[in-house]
Amino acid sequence: MAGDVLIKIRNLRHVYNPGTPEEVLALDGISLEIREGEFVAIVGANGSGKSTLAKHLNALLLPTEGEVLIAGMDTRRPEYLWEIRQQVGMVFQNPDNQIVATVVEEDVAFGPENLGLPPEEIRRRVEEALRAVHLEELRHHEPHLLSGGQKQRVAIAGILAMRPRCIVLDEATSMLDPQGQQEVLATVRRLNAEGITIVFITHSMDEAALASRVLVMDKGHIVLDGPPQEVFSKPAELRRLHLNVPQAVQLAELLRQEGLPIPRGIVTPGELVEAIWSLVPRFAKAGNWTLASLALENSRKAMQGNEQTAITCEDVHYIYLRGTPMETVALRGVNLRIPAGEATGIIGPTGSGKSTLIQHFNGLLRPTAGRIWVDSIELPASGAVLRELRQKVGLVFQYPEHQLFEETVYDDVAFGPRNMGLGEEEVSRRVRQALELVGLDPGRFGKRSPFSLSEGEMRRVAIAGVLAMDPRVLVLDEPTAGLDPRGREEILAHLQTLRAREEVTVIVVSHSIDELSSLTDRVAVLHQGRVYLEGTTREVFSQGKRLAAIGLRVPVVAEVLEKLRERGLPVRTDVLTVEEAKETILKGLKAFS
Amino acid sequence: MELLRYVTIGQYIPRDSPVHRLDPRTKLLAVLVWMVVIFFVRDFVGYSLFTVVLLTLLAVAQIPLGYVLKGLRPVLFLLVLTLVLNILFSGPAEGKVLWRFGPFAATQEGLIRGLFVGYRLVLLVVVTSLLTFTTSPVDLTDGIERLLRPFRRFGVPAHELAMMMTIALRFIPTLLSETEKIIKAQMARGADFERGNILRRARAFIPVLVPLFLSAFRRAEELALAMEARCYHGGENRTRMKQLAFRRGDVVAWIFVALSSGLFLIPADIWLTRL
Repeated sequence: MAGDVLIKIRNLRHVYNPGTPEEVLALDGISLEIREGEFVAIVGANGSGKSTLAKHLNALLLPTEGEVLIAGMDTRRPEYLWEIRQQVGMVFQNPDNQIVATVVEEDVAFGPENLGLPPEEIRRRVEEALRAVHLEELRHHEPHLLSGGQKQRVAIAGILAMRPRCIVLDEATSMLDPQGQQEVLATVRRLNAEGITIVFITHSMDEAALASRVLVMDKGHIVLDGPPQEVFSKPAELRRLHLNVPQAVQLAELLRQEGLPIPRGIVTPGELVEAIWSLVPRFAKAGNWTLASLALENSRKAMQGNEQTAITCEDVHYIYLRGTPMETVALRGVNLRIPAGEATGIIGPTGSGKSTLIQHFNGLLRPTAGRIWVDSIELPASGAVLRELRQKVGLVFQYPEHQLFEETVYDDVAFGPRNMGLGEEEVSRRVRQALELVGLDPGRFGKRSPFSLSEGEMRRVAIAGVLAMDPRVLVLDEPTAGLDPRGREEILAHLQTLRAREEVTVIVVSHSIDELSSLTDRVAVLHQGRVYLEGTTREVFSQGKRLAAIGLRVPVVAEVLEKLRERGLPVRTDVLTVEEAKETILKGLKAFS
Repeated sequence: MELLRYVTIGQYIPRDSPVHRLDPRTKLLAVLVWMVVIFFVRDFVGYSLFTVVLLTLLAVAQIPLGYVLKGLRPVLFLLVLTLVLNILFSGPAEGKVLWRFGPFAATQEGLIRGLFVGYRLVLLVVVTSLLTFTTSPVDLTDGIERLLRPFRRFGVPAHELAMMMTIALRFIPTLLSETEKIIKAQMARGADFERGNILRRARAFIPVLVPLFLSAFRRAEELALAMEARCYHGGENRTRMKQLAFRRGDVVAWIFVALSSGLFLIPADIWLTRL
């Protein structure tokens, strides 16, 4: 399917701020060819040079050394500039910051208007582009009322209207919820099938697995290049680069280590199911194995332990903009008990009311109806009680690093304790402790500007700012959203430490089931403003079908096990980790031998 | 989200009316002409006719009168001030004195003049809101750009102004919801925006303003990059998908504006002698 060479890069080096103390070598001798019609995924940690490379593909950056040819046109030649930008379109990470116009169709028209096309031609192309991303009905909408996934599709349509040969997506899915990610991926795959070359930069290995070719970058070099099967068959190498390996690949690797003849090059859950099922002796498949005749292990009823309650919600309702035309019901009767000293996950599709619910926990929102208790405080509270509540329940918002404002890390973390009116000595003790809790050395980081840190570090400073108030309950809204795998790993590791501290109740809101499965004891699933499922993490995540019914994806291991069980292999499906999955598959296979 | 309750920017009321369908340039020019006319009308007869015309247009455009009156609320203070100042200071000394407050005298002429100037202000507000109520921000921007285009040779940056307006309109809702988010996040860290004197309250907003500005700059930078990637290179050789075109309705509107303006400007004594 791959055609002629579309992008040809020879020995590309890129240096930012050359000749200054901030000089950074971002790309160090990249040579690369991408053919027409390819679907190339680029992965790599932050700072590996992915985005810099992407910006060279449509001449937003020019080579310090070496050359970039797009369909034979050298990006350094000014006369080719607009032709190159028309042929290679670019979708950026933040859906809000690339839409120019106040109406969807006007935004899609922006590119063709810049090309100076006649009005009828622009109209035709806008129609065509909106149809290609399935947004015809929304053409007269205001962009700020769209979902993240829809906004990114508007951005893609804006590029399609310029009739490009290649679309570069620079982490375009990293700020989206799972549904938005699916929308964008489906659109991109469809366009690729129609012949448009795709360069897809991502942190998600599951997304990269969909490409026909994966490039792994590290420190300005391309270190791996090949089809996903080949690249993912080097898990040790990927781990060294702080990239996570798709769960199906991990499980296949573990099973192989146990001596099972699982072929290399397995990437998707479907392939793994086939490989495991092919190990079941033929006679067994033909036999009358039925689910009922197999003794399934009872799922361990995990812990009843904690009797104390941190937060109780009784029939909580909340309505936004009540009494205006934009009135929206967010919560329709939430009943929930969150035990003290444990980690509880709150999960649900976008619009299910997760963020609204947690803002009730520290009194930022007052329930329209219903009652909430935090410890012994009954909400809504005001005055001194409200201040006590705010201190007792620490709330870390999404992208908390966007709320940093002080000149030094120390002062920013001290903001909360100082607002509490603590003495400078106590403030200093708390700042130190909080920074240590998130793994930042107070001596080294305290005096630095928060804006000089990496994204992951900034986020940890922001979390420390809440921890410094010494909350009994710590609520985190999407703590790892938008981070690269390494930043994610670090945050998750520190949350594990916090969770181990008995006296703190941790509540994590997340879209990611994989994340919650390792982090929380209990999970509450919200759907349309109500609690849809609730229980121990194991109980909830073994309900694959019920989760799928409201659009939540089950962990990959659970998906594999469920499919195996449907075929008749006696395995448990209430597993949370790859290790557990391995154990139950080995046992299941033994039942046949 | 909740901030939207208090801010009503670009109070466009979408309806399907002959006024809504007019070319934005027609409406902009009509408003311009009428604003000048308002200043030249000498007496209440002209203003009465004007009022009748405006009420008719509001009815045709299906704009409820309540919306229009609500729009007057922000200038209420100005109205009262105009009235008071005129009553106290503008009346000729020899006029008929109504009341006296120490050195000040309120004369009948002053009262009439105050009412007259106050009403002029009301008319100005109603005329402009007739424009914003019936013209979407996109059309308004387009109209302004195209009206200013001939003045480009005199250095008027028509395209740039229009682009700035568009981007501002596009980002107002985004920045509003962002402001709300930052306020909540700092409140969660114990920030207090309600207690203390003015100075303390102003200081309390630093933790909101710094992140807000940083984010606005970040957005601006990213938006600029995205625009460049989509071949934006200023207004030169740029075409537009939406073409503005004058139609029969616009011609009718021009004639109507010209005739009515003439009518408003006829001095009262001519009306009276004719009667």
